[in-house]
Amino acid sequence: MTALFLCSLLLALAVTPWSSTAFASPDYHEQLFLQPLPQSSLLASFNFRSNTSQQSFDNQHFRYFPRALGQILQHAHTKELHLRFTTGRWDAESWGSRPWRGSKEGGTGVELWAWIDAPGDEEAFAKWITLTQSLSGLFCASLNFVDSTRTTRPVVSFEPAGNHQGADGLHLLHGTLPGEVVCTENLTPFLKLLPCKGKAGISTLFDGHKLFDAAWQSMSVDVQPICTAEGECTVQIEQTVDMVLDIERSKRPRANPIPRPLPNDQLACDTSKPYNSEDTCYPLERITDNAWSLSEVFGRNLDGVCPLTGSDGTSEQSVCLRVPHEKQVFITQEASEIKKDDGFTRCFSLSPSQAFDISVPEQTVTTPVPIEEPILNAERTIVGHGQERGGMRIIFGNPSNTTAVDFILFESLPWFLRPYIHTLQATITGQDGIRREIPTKDLVSSTYYRPAIDRERGTQLELALSVPAASTVTLTYDFEKAILRYTEYPPDANRGFNVAPAVIRILNTPDSAPFYIRSTSLLLPLPTPDFSMPYNVIILTSTVIALAFGTVFNILVRRVVSVDEATALVAQTVKGRLLGKLIALRDRIRPKQTKVE
Amino acid sequence: MAVDRRTVGVFGAAFVLRLLLICLFPSLPDLLTGRVEVSTPVNSFKRLQEGLYLYTRNVSPYDGGVFHQAPLLLPLFSLLPGVQSNPIPTAILYFLVDLVNARALVTISESGQSVQSQLHSAVRKHIRWDGVSVAAWFLFNPFTIATCLARSTSVFTTTGILFAVSNAVTGNSVNAMLALGFASYLSLYPALLFVPLVLLCFDQRLQSANKPPNGIIYGLQHAGILLASIAGLLGLSVLITGNFWEFMSATYGFHLLVPDLTPNVGLWWYFFIEMFDSFREFFLGVFWLHLASYVGGLTMRLRRQPLFVVASLLGVFAIFKPYPSISDASLYFATLPLYRHLFPLMRYTFFAISAILYSSLLGPAFYHLWIYAGSGNANFFYAITLVWSLGLSILLADSIFAAIRDEWEQDHPDAQGTEVKQV
Repeated sequence: MTALFLCSLLLALAVTPWSSTAFASPDYHEQLFLQPLPQSSLLASFNFRSNTSQQSFDNQHFRYFPRALGQILQHAHTKELHLRFTTGRWDAESWGSRPWRGSKEGGTGVELWAWIDAPGDEEAFAKWITLTQSLSGLFCASLNFVDSTRTTRPVVSFEPAGNHQGADGLHLLHGTLPGEVVCTENLTPFLKLLPCKGKAGISTLFDGHKLFDAAWQSMSVDVQPICTAEGECTVQIEQTVDMVLDIERSKRPRANPIPRPLPNDQLACDTSKPYNSEDTCYPLERITDNAWSLSEVFGRNLDGVCPLTGSDGTSEQSVCLRVPHEKQVFITQEASEIKKDDGFTRCFSLSPSQAFDISVPEQTVTTPVPIEEPILNAERTIVGHGQERGGMRIIFGNPSNTTAVDFILFESLPWFLRPYIHTLQATITGQDGIRREIPTKDLVSSTYYRPAIDRERGTQLELALSVPAASTVTLTYDFEKAILRYTEYPPDANRGFNVAPAVIRILNTPDSAPFYIRSTSLLLPLPTPDFSMPYNVIILTSTVIALAFGTVFNILVRRVVSVDEATALVAQTVKGRLLGKLIALRDRIRPKQTKVE
Repeated sequence: MAVDRRTVGVFGAAFVLRLLLICLFPSLPDLLTGRVEVSTPVNSFKRLQEGLYLYTRNVSPYDGGVFHQAPLLLPLFSLLPGVQSNPIPTAILYFLVDLVNARALVTISESGQSVQSQLHSAVRKHIRWDGVSVAAWFLFNPFTIATCLARSTSVFTTTGILFAVSNAVTGNSVNAMLALGFASYLSLYPALLFVPLVLLCFDQRLQSANKPPNGIIYGLQHAGILLASIAGLLGLSVLITGNFWEFMSATYGFHLLVPDLTPNVGLWWYFFIEMFDSFREFFLGVFWLHLASYVGGLTMRLRRQPLFVVASLLGVFAIFKPYPSISDASLYFATLPLYRHLFPLMRYTFFAISAILYSSLLGPAFYHLWIYAGSGNANFFYAITLVWSLGLSILLADSIFAAIRDEWEQDHPDAQGTEVKQV
């Protein structure tokens, strides 16, 4: 199953360098796959994978497996771990299907899910907290903020990728930090987990300035046990970095990164336009691809080969490029090129000690590389206005004309977003283009819903859906925005709160391998109190209460008397007598004053 | 029971008015349901719908942060057809509940307890509205209509309270306790009405019985009935939900601890938003203590008029309970016309009514400025809730003063109409 899964992953990228030798015990492989994408983008997929036998892992004999991570996993009883750092957005409309079929990417920010071995739910959660705290330190990420309100236990959205024996005590926990900004401080610890630590091999290309300047990038760490049919188990760690670089943007020199307009004489103008003149230009669409080279795009050279990679021949071809075969590609002299049979892929054998570079000159495109169309298009937005309530709208488009798509929609919402599931409605737009409402039960075959509890846990919603061929389904539901205590708001309260992306797991893929899509994260504005005046509010409310209490009890405890009686009563009190004396005194003084006048 | 033409006219007109409103403006009920002045977390119809949705799908509605209403409402509403497809039956149910409440008010008014009771006889008995007028005042109050159309579940609490009072004034003390048990089961705070209500029943008993019963035993008996009725309802609830502590903490715990700070017309929400974390529990205690303190003070001082104590406490609840809405104010306003004879003795009616009108007109506008237009902040709506509470508390204090003055005039028949002072 797992061999099949890995093979199909690689098939999806049209790379088949290792499939038979993947599970030889302790070994290490690395691979860089490059593919120019439309709109002058370049997809670079780095993959690093090493295996350790279960026995040496248990005995803490770490060779290729990073010790820091291994000990954390052992301490937290974590059997399988998936950690993702993602920024940007994959533009499926122009770039097509996702690399690794979406299984190596996370939602915007940080996403973590793990299978933890524990006797009960509470113990599993305690281990989970240990795990997130440790990983937080290891990866310099705010994973320690994954508390009970951000943790869910998905039921059908994820399945273990590894082989687990006696999987009864395994608990899946999932946490997201949609607001986490992934940056260089996460890359450095990521590189340190690699056996060559970014000093040799393809990992020398990583430069934080370029990596986090990408239009989309995703770093992943997966740890899973892989067992053969004979019961021999290895622990596999796989790290990937996928990024889509804008070639022109990446080629800007670091010393002078400000883009400047082209000089007039270099502009390609449509001269047939009537208004075309010296100062007016209708730009023509480029007919040639951008020229680029590895060192230009990444800002660094590829320094040789990591000497720890397996020596079985295929793994030396650690860099592959997917462009049409007729396209000219220049490489460093010591390296050699091997063209694959599919007509598009070529891989390069690198010289162990020499720097390597690829250079693709500007040339006219003849046969474009086919881009796989995504199985499903998904888009999620918040609708409505005002800070009181809103609605969630999720649009699924099935581009296929023949097959329906079955998938699971997994949403984990923060507790201060209170969804009303009874308002869940569905509309469908078929081939005829007519939009009509249909009962949700026609689309949703099963629902798993765990409502949020204020300040304790978030909402977890899993829907098993089916979108018929060539139609678009829109799901909507209402929600209410809670107002928080003023200490619960972040310093930038009016920016809004991040809502984690929805995870979509497609079930009926052609080869039954997992296929994931993640929507973009959302920004949820909440009503805010006035942060400047807690004292004023406490004082004003207390005043109103004191006023009511004082008035009512004043009326209740005092005696009612007529006005005449009141004066008589007042005269008898100490205060009244004193007042009387004072008046008498004044009367004695006043006549004198009038005489003086 | 003889039903005269005026009663039929008022009740029919109230029914037809509500029906016309929902037929002419079909979106009005949903609009009102969404208003914070009408719907609070503990009586919102939308939250009830969500709870019902989960209940009918075998998910515990109390294992979540949305539904905080009594469990018995769930099977009741699951019998009704779905509101989204067919809103009329639910609306009719609410109309009928309103009419039933008005009917209870007629009974209370016609018993004459407000002017003439065992220990008290008002001086200005002749200034009085009859039962139908009191009912009309209740039925055509815009606050009542808004509550009814918004399908707020506090109307059931209102029913419980009004039935408890109407049974108490007619001498059915057991029924009164059962009705009060129902109201307390729904929203907890009506339990505070127990003392004046028992006194009311006790006075009725004194009037009718030849041999006066022992006061303490009488009180204990009725406390027993109240507790038994609440326990019975809770028992039924356990049968429905299956998890006692879960629904107790989601309903009564929610009332007591006020974790949801959604804006409403009361004083609690903004205070506890802005309160420093370490003082939150302390002030929760203080606020509840403050609310409960009125029971003792009013009952002792106005021992001769327990019905007036009940009416005043309803006013106190409308101002100081954790999740007040205009339905609580409408209940207080419904009891005020029973004391029409006190109106000439009130001093600040103009100010109180102006404050209430001012805040009920500006409240929605300021809320809009804060939440939708963004041109105002939370203080706008907060200021209006302060004015609203102030207006209501002036009205309350003024009516209490009038009642005390009325008692004084009864004791001093010669001093009627003279200027008085409190010392």
